[in-house]
Amino acid sequence: MTPVLRATGLGKRYGRRPALADCTLEIPPGRVVGLVGPNGAGKTTLLQLAVGLLAPTEGTIEVLGGRPGAGPEQLAKVGFVAQDAPTYTNLTVADHFRLGAHLNPHWDNTVAMDRIAALGLDPAQKAGKLSGGQRAQLALTLAIAKRPELLILDEPVASLDPLARRGFMQSLMEFTADTGASVVLSSHLVADLERVCDYLIVLAASHVLIAGDVDDLLATHPRLIGPRDAAVPAGTTVVQESHTDRQSTLVVRSSAPVDEPGWAAERLDLEDLVLAYMAAALPDDRRAVAAL
Amino acid sequence: MIWLTWRQFRSQSVVAAVVFVAAAVVLGIAAQAVATMWTNSGAASCPATGDCAALASFLQEAQQGWTMMVYVLGAGLIYLVPPLVGVFWGAPLVARELEAGTHRLVWNQSVTRARWLGTKLAVLGAASMAFAGLLSLATTWSSHRLDQVGFNRLEPILYGARGIVPVAYAAFAFALGVVTGMVIRRTVPAMAITLAVYAGFALAMALGIRSHLLPATHTQQPLNTANINGMGISQDGTMRVEASFDVPGAWVTHNTTITATGQDFTGPANTQVCGRDGAPKDCIGWLGSLGLKQDIVYQPAGHFWPLQWVESGVFLALTALLVTFGFWWLRRRSS
Repeated sequence: MTPVLRATGLGKRYGRRPALADCTLEIPPGRVVGLVGPNGAGKTTLLQLAVGLLAPTEGTIEVLGGRPGAGPEQLAKVGFVAQDAPTYTNLTVADHFRLGAHLNPHWDNTVAMDRIAALGLDPAQKAGKLSGGQRAQLALTLAIAKRPELLILDEPVASLDPLARRGFMQSLMEFTADTGASVVLSSHLVADLERVCDYLIVLAASHVLIAGDVDDLLATHPRLIGPRDAAVPAGTTVVQESHTDRQSTLVVRSSAPVDEPGWAAERLDLEDLVLAYMAAALPDDRRAVAAL
Repeated sequence: MIWLTWRQFRSQSVVAAVVFVAAAVVLGIAAQAVATMWTNSGAASCPATGDCAALASFLQEAQQGWTMMVYVLGAGLIYLVPPLVGVFWGAPLVARELEAGTHRLVWNQSVTRARWLGTKLAVLGAASMAFAGLLSLATTWSSHRLDQVGFNRLEPILYGARGIVPVAYAAFAFALGVVTGMVIRRTVPAMAITLAVYAGFALAMALGIRSHLLPATHTQQPLNTANINGMGISQDGTMRVEASFDVPGAWVTHNTTITATGQDFTGPANTQVCGRDGAPKDCIGWLGSLGLKQDIVYQPAGHFWPLQWVESGVFLALTALLVTFGFWWLRRRSS
């Protein structure tokens, strides 16, 4: 099957400053992909490259087998909710749906109206009068009713309160359950993604640190605890290490289960895994602080 | 896409329609009033009978009071329409989307951004030109009698408010606003810059370029002392003389008094007859004996429409350049 997104040596620089560098990825279809990384890691750049709002300065990117934003067919296949969920302040909710209906060949107005009714939004309400959570829901509805094969969301819940956040994620999960479409969503908080994602990409300092199925990642990244100065078990790569006087704690990558005398292995949760990679990507001086 | 373009333009189009209807009503009433004065003064018979004495009384009546005010305000309105279109319709068109981030919404519907821009430029550009064109038509029609007998429509002050050039100005101003907004990315600064740049182009055209758009007529004629409408004498005896040039409807761009041998006439003044001690009559008589000539460059009245077409062509070509640049800019952003 055509991968949802395939990037080869992808890079984007603004002047001399790289926003994204040497990004090679292949995302299989049908996944809910979490793109996680600290602020400024390049998440927005990668997503805007994927929808064609930006053009790469190096390498190539293909989305659903086509060049992002290349033409009406390509645009119709990809739904996008940009950061801060922009909507037209002066247009009503119903106007937004008419916009969607006029500009998208596969527009499903029933889906849009049903969602708005379920959310309790008034179609005659101007978008400028909606709360942040309602506006995000409107933007999501616009993207969903377009019936895309791939839905891309850039920090969709960053500005929402916890209740709106939960409602939004609920809507998203219903969408994926109903349609089986692929989703890529970014966040700087793993907690936002943990319950919905089955595929994870960790991005830090313009580079992809790791990408893969969540289950595979968790299975291949144990935390090892053993005596200080014991040899690192063979066949493992250390991602992060910390030491006390008597004992060492390692997060390692290992293709096979670790069964080494002296080392106790325990399973990480997703947040620990992401933090281990992000801490390892920090510059040395900041890593020392993070390890404390 | 046309629906969205119209929806986002709805309130502006209502304003434009109200302005046009209000202006058309006032211009229509004024046209009626001037037509009545024309008939009642007896000036209407002037072309047929050659008895044009009544013309003066017609002009006196029409050039005083509210009909004159409508005449002046009508021309002023035509001059204001293109910059207002550029500032309020053109500049925010893309800048406001970029500022609010809504370009990220609309450029991810199933319509390429080239088509998005193309539709907006076509619909709103046509609206701008229609608005300017209809107002110019109404004003030109309402003012035709005074244009004909009272004023010279080829003179810069009136020329830009007549005929078809307002349409080309509006197209240019609109495209200028759109492109400025695209490049500046902020609505209010883009509005200010659009206004300044438009004013620069309009003034450069009126004060510098227009007189060279078509070959002017260059003529010399003996100074007719009856036409002298100004003279000055300095302490050191240098003297200058100005005389009017009476070709109906001509736009005189150069008019100097020269000597029989072709130099600019600078005196010296004959202080016996000119100046404090002499009688003006004698001074003029002395000037008439010098064999002075008038050196004149002018655009004849018949050049009004050719000039209008050429000038419109210039502004439409500039518009095309701006539009091309706009599409190039939009493509460069993403590919």
